[in-house]
Amino acid sequence: MLILTRRPGERVVIGEDVLVTVMEVSGQTVRLGIAAPEGLPIYREEIWLAVKEENRAAAEAADALPTAADGLPASADALPTPSQAAPAGKADQRPS
Amino acid sequence: MNSSIDPTAATVLQSLRFGTLTIEPEDVLEFPRGLIGLGGHHYTLLDRNPGTGFWWLHSLDDPAIALPVVDPRSFFHNFVLQLSDDEHERVGAGDLDEAQLYVTVRTAPNPVDVVVNLRAPIVVWERRAHQVLNTAPGADLQVRLFAPADAA
Repeated sequence: MLILTRRPGERVVIGEDVLVTVMEVSGQTVRLGIAAPEGLPIYREEIWLAVKEENRAAAEAADALPTAADGLPASADALPTPSQAAPAGKADQRPS
Repeated sequence: MNSSIDPTAATVLQSLRFGTLTIEPEDVLEFPRGLIGLGGHHYTLLDRNPGTGFWWLHSLDDPAIALPVVDPRSFFHNFVLQLSDDEHERVGAGDLDEAQLYVTVRTAPNPVDVVVNLRAPIVVWERRAHQVLNTAPGADLQVRLFAPADAA
């Protein structure tokens, strides 16, 4: 890992088109400004990791469907349908 | 585009789950940035469970990857999609209400344990798809899709 020391207002250039600016340092908090090409997504690491885990979990859960090992079409029964449970409590649910 | 995907011809997908499928060009979704953590630039939506509201988002780049998804607006009347300006621009849709919208589903044996990720929906506009971060209040990573029967 490359470790650099920067002061507020100073920058780091990554490649040809990513510019990271140290905006402010306050106690344990550092504010960064990031200029990157349009369309390049930038995430806080904890959010990126959490979404990654949800995606992977969704894919794994699907693989666990009973008919998956047979290479046959997945059983609709493996997925819940609105008729199998009462309307959602945390948010409204479309009537089945 | 992936060199294995011909944008002008049907793609034959050897799905590990569904067997051999033929995907027409108009059914291919392009993910310029892939799905977070899963990658892939080409997916398709399969309606393998008609009438349930569930679709399968199946990778065309990796025959093993398929995720169940639902349109959150079909299950949550109060669902709100709120994006940063950068994300909104990246998606390309002027009016998000007109875009297709999906969220991934964590299935479970008990329906009440099934959760969806409202924090990172997939927005599809003109066959280009992006997984975005929804900043709306209540758009959590795990939101129960069904409530226990005794909670009604």
